[in-house]
Amino acid sequence: MTTAPTPTTLPRAARRPSNLFPMLGVALAALVLYWPLMLWANSGQAARSLASGADLGCKTALACATQLRNPVIPAPGQFASGFTSLSVPPLAPTSAPYNALVTGGETLLGLALASVLGLVLATLLVRSRSFERATLPWLVASQTVPIVALAPMLAVLLGQYGVQGFLPKAIIAAYIAFFPIAIGMAQGLRSPDPLQLDLMRTYRASPAQVFGLLQVPASLPYLFTSLKVAATAALVGSIVAEISTISFSGLGKMLAENSRASDTVALWVIMIYGAALGIVLVALIGGLERLVTRWRPPA
Amino acid sequence: MTAPRSPSDTPIVSVRDLSMIFPTPGGQTVALQDANLQIMPGEFISLIGPSGCGKTTLLRLMADLIQPTGGELLVNGGTPRKARENRAYGYVFQAPALMEWRNVLNNVKLPLDVMNTPKAQRDSRAREMLKLVGLEKFERSYPWQLSGGMQQRVSIARALAFDPAMLFMDEPFGALDEITRENLNLELLRLWRETGKTVVFVTHSISEAVFLSTRVVVMTARPGKIEGIVDIGLPHPRSDDSREDPRFFEYATQIRELLKKGHS
Repeated sequence: MTTAPTPTTLPRAARRPSNLFPMLGVALAALVLYWPLMLWANSGQAARSLASGADLGCKTALACATQLRNPVIPAPGQFASGFTSLSVPPLAPTSAPYNALVTGGETLLGLALASVLGLVLATLLVRSRSFERATLPWLVASQTVPIVALAPMLAVLLGQYGVQGFLPKAIIAAYIAFFPIAIGMAQGLRSPDPLQLDLMRTYRASPAQVFGLLQVPASLPYLFTSLKVAATAALVGSIVAEISTISFSGLGKMLAENSRASDTVALWVIMIYGAALGIVLVALIGGLERLVTRWRPPA
Repeated sequence: MTAPRSPSDTPIVSVRDLSMIFPTPGGQTVALQDANLQIMPGEFISLIGPSGCGKTTLLRLMADLIQPTGGELLVNGGTPRKARENRAYGYVFQAPALMEWRNVLNNVKLPLDVMNTPKAQRDSRAREMLKLVGLEKFERSYPWQLSGGMQQRVSIARALAFDPAMLFMDEPFGALDEITRENLNLELLRLWRETGKTVVFVTHSISEAVFLSTRVVVMTARPGKIEGIVDIGLPHPRSDDSREDPRFFEYATQIRELLKKGHS
Protein backbone atom coordinates (compact mmCIF):
# COMPACT_ATOMS: atom_id res chain seq x y z
CA MET A 1 0.00 0.00 0.00
CA THR A 2 1.20 3.48 -0.75
CA THR A 3 1.53 5.73 2.23
CA ALA A 4 -0.69 8.72 1.93
CA PRO A 5 0.54 12.09 3.12
CA THR A 6 -0.83 13.12 6.49
CA PRO A 7 -3.83 15.43 6.52
CA THR A 8 -1.71 18.29 7.81
CA THR A 9 -0.09 18.58 4.38
CA LEU A 10 -3.43 19.20 2.67
CA PRO A 11 -3.43 22.28 0.52
CA ARG A 12 -5.12 25.28 2.01
CA ALA A 13 -5.78 27.87 -0.63
CA ALA A 14 -3.67 30.96 -0.10
CA ARG A 15 -5.52 33.91 1.37
CA ARG A 16 -6.59 36.37 -1.22
CA PRO A 17 -4.69 39.64 -0.94
CA SER A 18 -6.97 42.09 0.82
CA ASN A 19 -8.84 44.69 -1.20
CA LEU A 20 -8.82 47.00 1.79
CA PHE A 21 -5.81 49.14 0.93
CA PRO A 22 -6.67 49.83 -2.71
CA MET A 23 -10.21 50.68 -1.59
CA LEU A 24 -8.96 53.02 1.13
CA GLY A 25 -6.76 54.68 -1.50
CA VAL A 26 -9.80 55.49 -3.61
CA ALA A 27 -11.66 56.78 -0.54
CA LEU A 28 -8.72 59.02 0.31
CA ALA A 29 -8.61 60.40 -3.25
CA ALA A 30 -12.34 61.12 -3.08
CA LEU A 31 -11.88 62.96 0.23
CA VAL A 32 -9.03 65.05 -1.18
CA LEU A 33 -11.10 65.93 -4.26
CA TYR A 34 -14.29 66.55 -2.26
CA TRP A 35 -13.40 70.00 -0.91
CA PRO A 36 -12.37 71.74 -4.18
CA LEU A 37 -15.19 70.00 -6.05
CA MET A 38 -17.74 71.14 -3.48
CA LEU A 39 -16.51 74.75 -3.63
CA TRP A 40 -16.50 74.71 -7.43
CA ALA A 41 -19.97 73.14 -7.68
CA ASN A 42 -21.59 75.56 -5.25
CA SER A 43 -19.80 78.83 -6.02
CA GLY A 44 -21.85 79.55 -9.14
CA GLN A 45 -25.10 79.39 -7.22
CA ALA A 46 -23.55 81.41 -4.39
CA ALA A 47 -22.42 84.11 -6.83
CA ARG A 48 -25.91 84.33 -8.33
CA SER A 49 -27.51 84.60 -4.88
CA LEU A 50 -25.10 87.36 -3.88
CA ALA A 51 -25.72 89.23 -7.15
CA SER A 52 -29.48 89.14 -6.51
CA GLY A 53 -28.81 90.86 -3.20
CA ALA A 54 -29.67 87.99 -0.89
CA ASP A 55 -28.13 88.21 2.57
CA LEU A 56 -26.24 84.97 3.11
CA GLY A 57 -24.12 86.24 5.96
CA CYS A 58 -20.99 86.05 3.85
CA LYS A 59 -19.13 88.29 1.45
CA THR A 60 -17.58 86.29 -1.40
CA ALA A 61 -18.96 83.50 -3.57
CA LEU A 62 -16.26 81.18 -2.31
CA ALA A 63 -17.08 81.90 1.33
CA CYS A 64 -20.80 81.47 0.66
CA ALA A 65 -20.27 78.12 -1.09
CA THR A 66 -20.52 76.32 2.24
CA GLN A 67 -23.58 78.25 3.45
CA LEU A 68 -26.16 77.63 0.70
CA ARG A 69 -29.64 76.47 1.59
CA ASN A 70 -29.84 73.84 -1.16
CA PRO A 71 -26.23 73.22 -2.17
CA VAL A 72 -25.32 71.03 -5.15
CA ILE A 73 -22.79 69.30 -2.91
CA PRO A 74 -23.29 69.87 0.84
CA ALA A 75 -20.43 71.14 2.99
CA PRO A 76 -19.23 68.89 5.81
CA GLY A 77 -21.24 70.79 8.44
CA GLN A 78 -24.37 70.60 6.31
CA PHE A 79 -23.83 66.87 5.84
CA ALA A 80 -23.47 66.44 9.60
CA SER A 81 -26.61 68.34 10.51
CA GLY A 82 -28.54 66.70 7.67
CA PHE A 83 -27.55 63.27 8.92
CA THR A 84 -28.51 64.13 12.46
CA SER A 85 -31.91 65.58 11.62
CA LEU A 86 -32.76 62.62 9.37
CA SER A 87 -31.41 59.91 11.66
CA VAL A 88 -32.50 60.90 15.17
CA PRO A 89 -34.61 59.26 16.52
CA PRO A 90 -33.82 56.39 14.16
CA LEU A 91 -37.24 54.74 14.24
CA ALA A 92 -39.40 57.81 13.75
CA PRO A 93 -41.59 57.61 10.61
CA THR A 94 -39.73 60.57 9.11
CA SER A 95 -36.22 59.34 9.73
CA ALA A 96 -34.03 57.66 7.17
CA PRO A 97 -33.01 54.53 9.14
CA TYR A 98 -36.65 53.57 9.67
CA ASN A 99 -37.48 54.13 6.01
CA ALA A 100 -34.36 52.24 4.95
CA LEU A 101 -35.63 49.31 7.00
CA VAL A 102 -38.99 49.50 5.21
CA THR A 103 -37.31 49.54 1.80
CA GLY A 104 -34.93 46.80 2.88
CA GLY A 105 -37.84 44.66 4.05
CA GLU A 106 -39.67 45.16 0.75
CA THR A 107 -36.51 44.25 -1.15
CA LEU A 108 -35.88 41.11 0.89
CA LEU A 109 -39.49 39.97 0.53
CA GLY A 110 -39.25 40.73 -3.19
CA LEU A 111 -36.04 38.68 -3.39
CA ALA A 112 -37.71 35.78 -1.60
CA LEU A 113 -40.67 35.87 -4.00
CA ALA A 114 -38.26 36.18 -6.94
CA SER A 115 -36.21 33.22 -5.70
CA VAL A 116 -39.24 30.95 -5.52
CA LEU A 117 -40.43 32.04 -8.96
CA GLY A 118 -36.89 31.86 -10.36
CA LEU A 119 -36.32 28.33 -9.04
CA VAL A 120 -39.61 27.08 -10.47
CA LEU A 121 -38.93 28.70 -13.84
CA ALA A 122 -35.35 27.42 -13.95
CA THR A 123 -36.50 23.88 -13.21
CA LEU A 124 -39.09 24.05 -15.98
CA LEU A 125 -36.63 25.65 -18.41
CA VAL A 126 -34.11 22.87 -17.81
CA ARG A 127 -36.69 20.09 -17.87
CA SER A 128 -38.50 20.97 -21.04
CA ARG A 129 -37.11 22.31 -24.31
CA SER A 130 -40.56 23.23 -25.53
CA PHE A 131 -41.27 25.18 -22.36
CA GLU A 132 -38.01 27.03 -22.90
CA ARG A 133 -38.80 27.79 -26.52
CA ALA A 134 -42.30 28.99 -25.65
CA THR A 135 -41.48 31.11 -22.59
CA LEU A 136 -37.90 32.37 -22.79
CA PRO A 137 -38.64 35.10 -25.37
CA TRP A 138 -41.52 36.31 -23.19
CA LEU A 139 -39.35 36.30 -20.08
CA VAL A 140 -36.79 38.41 -21.93
CA ALA A 141 -39.58 40.69 -23.17
CA SER A 142 -40.90 41.11 -19.63
CA GLN A 143 -37.58 42.66 -18.68
CA THR A 144 -37.66 45.23 -21.47
CA VAL A 145 -40.71 46.97 -20.01
CA PRO A 146 -39.44 50.07 -18.16
CA ILE A 147 -40.16 49.43 -14.49
CA VAL A 148 -41.04 53.13 -13.94
CA ALA A 149 -43.86 52.73 -16.43
CA LEU A 150 -45.01 49.41 -15.10
CA ALA A 151 -44.97 50.16 -11.38
CA PRO A 152 -47.98 52.54 -11.11
CA MET A 153 -50.10 50.22 -13.26
CA LEU A 154 -49.17 47.18 -11.18
CA ALA A 155 -49.92 49.10 -8.00
CA VAL A 156 -53.37 50.10 -9.25
CA LEU A 157 -54.04 46.57 -10.44
CA LEU A 158 -52.98 45.02 -7.13
CA GLY A 159 -54.91 47.72 -5.25
CA GLN A 160 -58.11 46.47 -6.87
CA TYR A 161 -57.54 43.16 -5.16
CA GLY A 162 -56.86 44.80 -1.83
CA VAL A 163 -53.09 44.33 -2.04
CA GLN A 164 -51.67 47.58 -0.68
CA GLY A 165 -48.76 49.07 1.19
CA PHE A 166 -45.72 46.86 1.61
CA LEU A 167 -46.62 44.02 -0.74
CA PRO A 168 -47.00 45.81 -4.12
CA LYS A 169 -43.44 47.17 -3.74
CA ALA A 170 -42.13 43.71 -2.96
CA ILE A 171 -43.92 42.32 -6.00
CA ILE A 172 -42.47 45.04 -8.24
CA ALA A 173 -39.01 44.29 -6.81
CA ALA A 174 -39.61 40.59 -7.51
CA TYR A 175 -40.63 41.42 -11.08
CA ILE A 176 -37.12 42.73 -11.78
CA ALA A 177 -35.25 40.21 -9.63
CA PHE A 178 -36.75 36.91 -10.79
CA PHE A 179 -35.15 37.07 -14.23
CA PRO A 180 -31.45 36.94 -13.29
CA ILE A 181 -32.27 34.25 -10.71
CA ALA A 182 -34.13 32.09 -13.24
CA ILE A 183 -31.37 32.42 -15.85
CA GLY A 184 -28.56 31.83 -13.34
CA MET A 185 -30.29 28.84 -11.77
CA ALA A 186 -31.04 27.31 -15.19
CA GLN A 187 -27.35 27.62 -16.02
CA GLY A 188 -26.46 26.07 -12.66
CA LEU A 189 -28.86 23.16 -13.07
CA ARG A 190 -27.22 22.44 -16.41
CA SER A 191 -23.69 22.72 -15.00
CA PRO A 192 -23.01 19.12 -13.86
CA ASP A 193 -20.29 17.32 -15.77
CA PRO A 194 -21.53 14.70 -18.32
CA LEU A 195 -19.47 12.13 -16.38
CA GLN A 196 -21.37 12.96 -13.19
CA LEU A 197 -24.63 12.44 -15.06
CA ASP A 198 -23.33 9.11 -16.43
CA LEU A 199 -22.32 8.16 -12.90
CA MET A 200 -25.83 8.74 -11.59
CA ARG A 201 -27.11 6.67 -14.48
CA THR A 202 -24.89 3.73 -13.49
CA TYR A 203 -26.53 3.90 -10.04
CA ARG A 204 -30.00 3.80 -11.63
CA ALA A 205 -30.75 7.13 -9.93
CA SER A 206 -34.27 8.47 -10.42
CA PRO A 207 -34.71 11.87 -12.12
CA ALA A 208 -35.63 13.29 -8.69
CA GLN A 209 -32.35 11.96 -7.24
CA VAL A 210 -30.33 13.38 -10.12
CA PHE A 211 -32.05 16.69 -9.46
CA GLY A 212 -31.67 16.69 -5.68
CA LEU A 213 -28.27 15.05 -5.30
CA LEU A 214 -26.50 16.48 -8.33
CA GLN A 215 -28.18 19.37 -10.13
CA VAL A 216 -29.34 21.43 -7.14
CA PRO A 217 -26.07 21.34 -5.18
CA ALA A 218 -24.12 22.03 -8.38
CA SER A 219 -26.28 25.09 -9.02
CA LEU A 220 -25.81 26.74 -5.60
CA PRO A 221 -22.76 28.84 -6.58
CA TYR A 222 -24.72 30.05 -9.63
CA LEU A 223 -27.72 30.87 -7.44
CA PHE A 224 -25.69 33.11 -5.15
CA THR A 225 -23.99 34.91 -8.02
CA SER A 226 -27.37 35.72 -9.55
CA LEU A 227 -28.86 36.59 -6.15
CA LYS A 228 -26.25 39.33 -5.75
CA VAL A 229 -27.16 40.77 -9.14
CA ALA A 230 -30.85 40.38 -8.31
CA ALA A 231 -30.49 42.09 -4.91
CA THR A 232 -29.31 45.40 -6.36
CA ALA A 233 -31.94 45.18 -9.09
CA ALA A 234 -34.66 44.47 -6.51
CA LEU A 235 -33.54 47.45 -4.43
CA VAL A 236 -33.90 49.69 -7.48
CA GLY A 237 -37.30 48.09 -8.05
CA SER A 238 -38.64 48.78 -4.58
CA ILE A 239 -37.34 52.38 -4.53
CA VAL A 240 -38.82 53.08 -7.97
CA ALA A 241 -42.07 51.48 -6.81
CA GLU A 242 -42.14 53.75 -3.75
CA ILE A 243 -41.51 56.83 -5.88
CA SER A 244 -44.02 56.04 -8.58
CA THR A 245 -46.92 54.79 -6.45
CA ILE A 246 -48.70 56.14 -3.42
CA SER A 247 -46.36 55.44 -0.52
CA PHE A 248 -46.35 56.33 3.14
CA SER A 249 -42.87 55.13 3.94
CA GLY A 250 -39.64 53.97 2.36
CA LEU A 251 -36.53 55.65 0.97
CA GLY A 252 -38.32 56.21 -2.34
CA LYS A 253 -41.11 58.13 -0.64
CA MET A 254 -38.49 60.29 1.17
CA LEU A 255 -36.69 60.91 -2.12
CA ALA A 256 -39.92 61.98 -3.81
CA GLU A 257 -40.83 64.38 -0.97
CA ASN A 258 -37.43 65.98 -0.68
CA SER A 259 -37.02 66.27 -4.39
CA ARG A 260 -40.27 68.26 -4.55
CA ALA A 261 -38.88 70.45 -1.74
CA SER A 262 -35.48 70.70 -3.53
CA ASP A 263 -33.86 69.74 -0.24
CA THR A 264 -30.54 68.65 -1.69
CA VAL A 265 -28.91 67.94 1.66
CA ALA A 266 -31.67 65.47 2.54
CA LEU A 267 -31.46 63.90 -0.95
CA TRP A 268 -27.73 63.35 -0.45
CA VAL A 269 -28.28 61.77 2.94
CA ILE A 270 -31.06 59.47 1.64
CA MET A 271 -28.90 58.51 -1.31
CA ILE A 272 -26.10 57.48 1.03
CA TYR A 273 -28.57 55.45 3.09
CA GLY A 274 -29.73 53.77 -0.12
CA ALA A 275 -26.16 52.92 -1.12
CA ALA A 276 -25.47 51.54 2.35
CA LEU A 277 -28.64 49.45 2.16
CA GLY A 278 -27.49 47.97 -1.15
CA ILE A 279 -24.09 47.09 0.34
CA VAL A 280 -25.73 45.50 3.39
CA LEU A 281 -28.04 43.38 1.18
CA VAL A 282 -25.18 42.10 -0.98
CA ALA A 283 -23.09 41.43 2.14
CA LEU A 284 -25.98 39.46 3.67
CA ILE A 285 -26.16 37.27 0.57
CA GLY A 286 -22.39 36.89 0.57
CA GLY A 287 -22.49 35.75 4.20
CA LEU A 288 -25.24 33.27 3.43
CA GLU A 289 -23.22 32.01 0.47
CA ARG A 290 -20.13 31.35 2.58
CA LEU A 291 -22.31 29.53 5.09
CA VAL A 292 -24.03 27.34 2.50
CA THR A 293 -21.05 26.62 0.21
CA ARG A 294 -18.42 25.95 2.87
CA TRP A 295 -17.08 23.10 0.72
CA ARG A 296 -15.60 25.52 -1.78
CA PRO A 297 -11.95 26.48 -1.69
CA PRO A 298 -11.56 30.03 -0.42
CA ALA A 299 -11.53 32.27 -3.47
CA MET B 1 -5.74 -19.56 -15.69
CA THR B 2 -4.18 -17.62 -12.88
CA ALA B 3 -7.18 -15.73 -11.52
CA PRO B 4 -7.57 -16.06 -7.75
CA ARG B 5 -11.00 -17.60 -8.00
CA SER B 6 -11.63 -20.54 -10.26
CA PRO B 7 -13.78 -19.12 -13.06
CA SER B 8 -17.03 -20.93 -13.67
CA ASP B 9 -18.04 -22.03 -17.16
CA THR B 10 -20.63 -19.29 -17.77
CA PRO B 11 -19.16 -16.02 -18.92
CA ILE B 12 -20.14 -12.92 -16.94
CA VAL B 13 -19.85 -10.82 -20.11
CA SER B 14 -20.60 -12.24 -23.53
CA VAL B 15 -20.01 -10.15 -26.66
CA ARG B 16 -21.19 -11.53 -30.03
CA ASP B 17 -20.73 -9.73 -33.37
CA LEU B 18 -21.28 -6.47 -31.53
CA SER B 19 -21.32 -3.29 -33.63
CA MET B 20 -21.71 0.36 -32.88
CA ILE B 21 -22.16 2.88 -35.66
CA PHE B 22 -22.38 6.60 -34.88
CA PRO B 23 -23.93 8.93 -37.40
CA THR B 24 -21.56 11.76 -38.27
CA PRO B 25 -21.97 14.76 -40.55
CA GLY B 26 -21.53 13.41 -44.09
CA GLY B 27 -21.65 9.71 -43.25
CA GLN B 28 -21.14 7.44 -40.30
CA THR B 29 -18.35 6.25 -38.04
CA VAL B 30 -17.93 2.58 -37.28
CA ALA B 31 -16.83 2.78 -33.66
CA LEU B 32 -16.98 -0.97 -33.18
CA GLN B 33 -17.26 -3.73 -35.77
CA ASP B 34 -18.24 -7.34 -35.12
CA ALA B 35 -16.57 -7.65 -31.73
CA ASN B 36 -16.48 -11.08 -30.07
CA LEU B 37 -15.35 -11.62 -26.49
CA GLN B 38 -16.19 -13.82 -23.50
CA ILE B 39 -15.22 -12.62 -20.03
CA MET B 40 -15.26 -15.15 -17.18
CA PRO B 41 -16.13 -14.21 -13.59
CA GLY B 42 -13.09 -13.09 -11.62
CA GLU B 43 -11.02 -12.19 -14.67
CA PHE B 44 -9.04 -8.99 -15.07
CA ILE B 45 -9.50 -7.96 -18.69
CA SER B 46 -7.77 -5.00 -20.28
CA LEU B 47 -8.96 -3.39 -23.49
CA ILE B 48 -6.00 -1.73 -25.19
CA GLY B 49 -5.63 0.20 -28.40
CA PRO B 50 -5.11 3.64 -29.93
CA SER B 51 -7.71 6.41 -29.71
CA GLY B 52 -10.72 5.65 -31.85
CA CYS B 53 -10.39 1.86 -31.59
CA GLY B 54 -13.69 1.55 -29.76
CA LYS B 55 -12.37 0.42 -26.37
CA THR B 56 -14.32 3.04 -24.43
CA THR B 57 -17.31 2.42 -26.69
CA LEU B 58 -17.20 -1.29 -25.83
CA LEU B 59 -17.06 -0.50 -22.11
CA ARG B 60 -19.90 2.01 -22.34
CA LEU B 61 -21.97 -0.59 -24.24
CA MET B 62 -21.40 -3.11 -21.43
CA ALA B 63 -22.46 -0.45 -18.93
CA ASP B 64 -25.65 0.41 -20.88
CA LEU B 65 -24.53 4.03 -21.17
CA ILE B 66 -25.03 3.65 -24.94
CA GLN B 67 -26.95 1.07 -26.96
CA PRO B 68 -25.42 -1.04 -29.75
CA THR B 69 -26.54 -0.82 -33.37
CA GLY B 70 -25.95 -4.53 -34.00
CA GLY B 71 -24.99 -7.85 -32.44
CA GLU B 72 -25.57 -9.37 -29.06
CA LEU B 73 -24.33 -8.42 -25.63
CA LEU B 74 -25.00 -10.22 -22.36
CA VAL B 75 -23.81 -8.82 -19.04
CA ASN B 76 -24.22 -10.71 -15.77
CA GLY B 77 -26.56 -13.18 -17.44
CA GLY B 78 -28.94 -10.61 -18.92
CA THR B 79 -29.13 -7.47 -21.00
CA PRO B 80 -26.76 -4.60 -20.15
CA ARG B 81 -29.82 -2.61 -19.12
CA LYS B 82 -30.79 -5.25 -16.61
CA ALA B 83 -27.23 -5.40 -15.31
CA ARG B 84 -27.23 -1.65 -14.81
CA GLU B 85 -30.62 -1.69 -13.13
CA ASN B 86 -29.44 -4.49 -10.85
CA ARG B 87 -26.37 -2.39 -10.03
CA ALA B 88 -24.12 -5.20 -11.17
CA TYR B 89 -21.12 -2.99 -11.92
CA GLY B 90 -19.24 -0.03 -10.52
CA TYR B 91 -17.88 2.41 -13.10
CA VAL B 92 -14.67 4.38 -12.71
CA PHE B 93 -14.34 7.20 -15.25
CA GLN B 94 -11.30 8.85 -16.83
CA ALA B 95 -11.81 11.79 -14.46
CA PRO B 96 -12.68 11.20 -10.79
CA ALA B 97 -16.07 12.97 -11.28
CA LEU B 98 -16.37 13.58 -7.54
CA MET B 99 -19.10 15.82 -6.18
CA GLU B 100 -17.10 18.84 -5.05
CA TRP B 101 -19.68 19.76 -2.38
CA ARG B 102 -19.36 16.38 -0.68
CA ASN B 103 -16.39 15.51 1.48
CA VAL B 104 -14.47 12.30 0.81
CA LEU B 105 -16.65 10.15 3.07
CA ASN B 106 -19.87 11.50 1.58
CA ASN B 107 -18.57 11.01 -1.94
CA VAL B 108 -18.00 7.32 -1.22
CA LYS B 109 -21.49 7.24 0.33
CA LEU B 110 -23.13 8.69 -2.78
CA PRO B 111 -24.18 5.36 -4.36
CA LEU B 112 -25.45 4.18 -0.98
CA ASP B 113 -27.54 7.35 -0.67
CA VAL B 114 -28.96 6.80 -4.15
CA MET B 115 -29.67 3.13 -3.45
CA ASN B 116 -31.32 3.84 -0.11
CA THR B 117 -28.98 1.56 1.81
CA PRO B 118 -30.02 1.49 5.50
CA LYS B 119 -28.56 4.68 6.99
CA ALA B 120 -26.71 2.88 9.76
CA GLN B 121 -24.68 0.90 7.24
CA ARG B 122 -23.68 3.78 4.96
CA ASP B 123 -20.97 5.32 7.14
CA SER B 124 -19.37 2.05 8.16
CA ARG B 125 -19.40 0.73 4.61
CA ALA B 126 -17.90 3.95 3.23
CA ARG B 127 -15.18 3.96 5.92
CA GLU B 128 -14.35 0.36 5.10
CA MET B 129 -13.89 1.28 1.44
CA LEU B 130 -11.73 4.29 2.30
CA LYS B 131 -9.53 2.02 4.37
CA LEU B 132 -9.26 -0.33 1.42
CA VAL B 133 -7.82 2.48 -0.72
CA GLY B 134 -5.73 3.90 2.13
CA LEU B 135 -7.59 7.19 2.54
CA GLU B 136 -9.25 6.66 5.92
CA LYS B 137 -7.47 9.72 7.33
CA PHE B 138 -9.00 11.98 4.69
CA GLU B 139 -12.69 11.33 5.11
CA ARG B 140 -13.41 14.94 6.08
CA SER B 141 -11.39 16.50 3.24
CA TYR B 142 -13.00 18.00 0.20
CA PRO B 143 -12.03 16.95 -3.35
CA TRP B 144 -10.10 20.16 -4.10
CA GLN B 145 -7.78 19.38 -1.20
CA LEU B 146 -6.67 16.05 -2.70
CA SER B 147 -4.13 15.22 -5.41
CA GLY B 148 -5.33 13.67 -8.68
CA GLY B 149 -4.23 10.21 -7.60
CA MET B 150 -6.03 10.49 -4.27
CA GLN B 151 -9.19 11.71 -6.02
CA GLN B 152 -9.11 8.71 -8.33
CA ARG B 153 -8.73 6.40 -5.32
CA VAL B 154 -11.84 7.99 -3.81
CA SER B 155 -13.69 7.27 -7.03
CA ILE B 156 -12.54 3.62 -6.90
CA ALA B 157 -13.73 3.36 -3.28
CA ARG B 158 -17.04 4.86 -4.42
CA ALA B 159 -17.38 2.29 -7.23
CA LEU B 160 -16.79 -0.53 -4.75
CA ALA B 161 -19.05 0.87 -2.01
CA PHE B 162 -22.18 -1.01 -3.08
CA ASP B 163 -20.25 -4.24 -3.67
CA PRO B 164 -20.98 -4.73 -7.38
CA ALA B 165 -19.94 -7.97 -9.09
CA MET B 166 -17.94 -6.13 -11.74
CA LEU B 167 -15.71 -3.10 -11.95
CA PHE B 168 -15.61 -1.17 -15.23
CA MET B 169 -12.65 1.19 -15.44
CA ASP B 170 -12.17 3.64 -18.31
CA GLU B 171 -8.52 4.78 -18.34
CA PRO B 172 -8.75 5.61 -14.66
CA PHE B 173 -5.05 6.42 -14.32
CA GLY B 174 -4.57 8.05 -17.72
CA ALA B 175 -4.18 11.55 -16.30
CA LEU B 176 -1.71 10.58 -13.57
CA ASP B 177 2.08 10.60 -13.54
CA GLU B 178 3.92 7.32 -14.05
CA ILE B 179 5.00 6.91 -10.41
CA THR B 180 1.50 7.42 -9.03
CA ARG B 181 0.12 5.21 -11.76
CA GLU B 182 2.42 2.29 -10.87
CA ASN B 183 1.53 2.61 -7.20
CA LEU B 184 -2.15 2.60 -8.00
CA ASN B 185 -1.67 -0.40 -10.30
CA LEU B 186 -0.26 -2.37 -7.36
CA GLU B 187 -3.13 -1.24 -5.17
CA LEU B 188 -5.69 -2.16 -7.79
CA LEU B 189 -4.24 -5.66 -8.13
CA ARG B 190 -4.44 -6.10 -4.36
CA LEU B 191 -8.08 -4.89 -4.38
CA TRP B 192 -8.88 -7.28 -7.21
CA ARG B 193 -7.37 -10.23 -5.33
CA GLU B 194 -9.11 -9.28 -2.07
CA THR B 195 -12.53 -8.67 -3.58
CA GLY B 196 -12.55 -11.25 -6.37
CA LYS B 197 -14.39 -8.88 -8.67
CA THR B 198 -14.38 -9.11 -12.44
CA VAL B 199 -12.52 -6.08 -13.79
CA VAL B 200 -12.76 -4.65 -17.30
CA PHE B 201 -10.04 -2.05 -17.67
CA VAL B 202 -9.52 0.34 -20.58
CA THR B 203 -6.00 1.64 -21.11
CA HIS B 204 -3.57 2.70 -23.80
CA SER B 205 -0.49 1.73 -21.85
CA ILE B 206 0.94 -1.64 -22.90
CA SER B 207 2.93 -2.15 -19.68
CA GLU B 208 -0.10 -1.30 -17.53
CA ALA B 209 -2.22 -3.83 -19.44
CA VAL B 210 0.37 -6.61 -19.14
CA PHE B 211 1.04 -5.94 -15.48
CA LEU B 212 -2.62 -5.94 -14.43
CA SER B 213 -4.46 -8.38 -16.63
CA THR B 214 -5.27 -12.03 -16.92
CA ARG B 215 -6.05 -11.35 -20.58
CA VAL B 216 -5.42 -8.35 -22.82
CA VAL B 217 -7.86 -7.55 -25.62
CA VAL B 218 -5.96 -5.72 -28.37
CA MET B 219 -8.08 -3.38 -30.45
CA THR B 220 -7.34 -1.36 -33.58
CA ALA B 221 -8.97 1.68 -35.14
CA ARG B 222 -10.88 2.61 -38.30
CA PRO B 223 -13.01 0.64 -38.01
CA GLY B 224 -12.75 -0.18 -34.31
CA LYS B 225 -12.33 -3.91 -33.92
CA ILE B 226 -10.71 -6.61 -31.80
CA GLU B 227 -7.40 -7.56 -33.40
CA GLY B 228 -6.46 -10.34 -31.00
CA ILE B 229 -6.49 -11.49 -27.38
CA VAL B 230 -3.30 -12.19 -25.40
CA ASP B 231 -3.32 -14.48 -22.36
CA ILE B 232 -1.00 -13.11 -19.68
CA GLY B 233 0.63 -16.06 -17.90
CA LEU B 234 2.52 -14.04 -15.27
CA PRO B 235 1.98 -15.62 -11.84
CA HIS B 236 -0.04 -13.94 -9.07
CA PRO B 237 0.40 -12.18 -6.77
CA ARG B 238 2.33 -9.80 -8.96
CA SER B 239 4.76 -7.20 -7.67
CA ASP B 240 7.18 -4.72 -9.15
CA ASP B 241 9.46 -7.70 -9.81
CA SER B 242 6.88 -8.99 -12.32
CA ARG B 243 7.91 -6.09 -14.53
CA GLU B 244 11.43 -7.59 -14.75
CA ASP B 245 10.14 -11.05 -15.73
CA PRO B 246 11.29 -11.95 -19.29
CA ARG B 247 7.75 -13.07 -20.06
CA PHE B 248 6.57 -9.53 -19.29
CA PHE B 249 8.54 -8.32 -22.31
CA GLU B 250 7.33 -11.18 -24.48
CA TYR B 251 3.69 -10.30 -23.78
CA ALA B 252 4.38 -6.62 -24.37
CA THR B 253 6.01 -7.45 -27.71
CA GLN B 254 3.12 -9.69 -28.68
CA ILE B 255 0.64 -6.87 -27.97
CA ARG B 256 2.79 -4.35 -29.85
CA GLU B 257 2.88 -6.62 -32.90
CA LEU B 258 -0.90 -6.94 -32.87
CA LEU B 259 -1.28 -3.17 -32.58
CA LYS B 260 1.08 -2.70 -35.54
CA LYS B 261 -0.73 -5.29 -37.60
CA GLY B 262 -3.92 -3.28 -37.25
CA HIS B 263 -2.08 -0.12 -38.15
CA SER B 264 -0.64 -1.29 -41.49
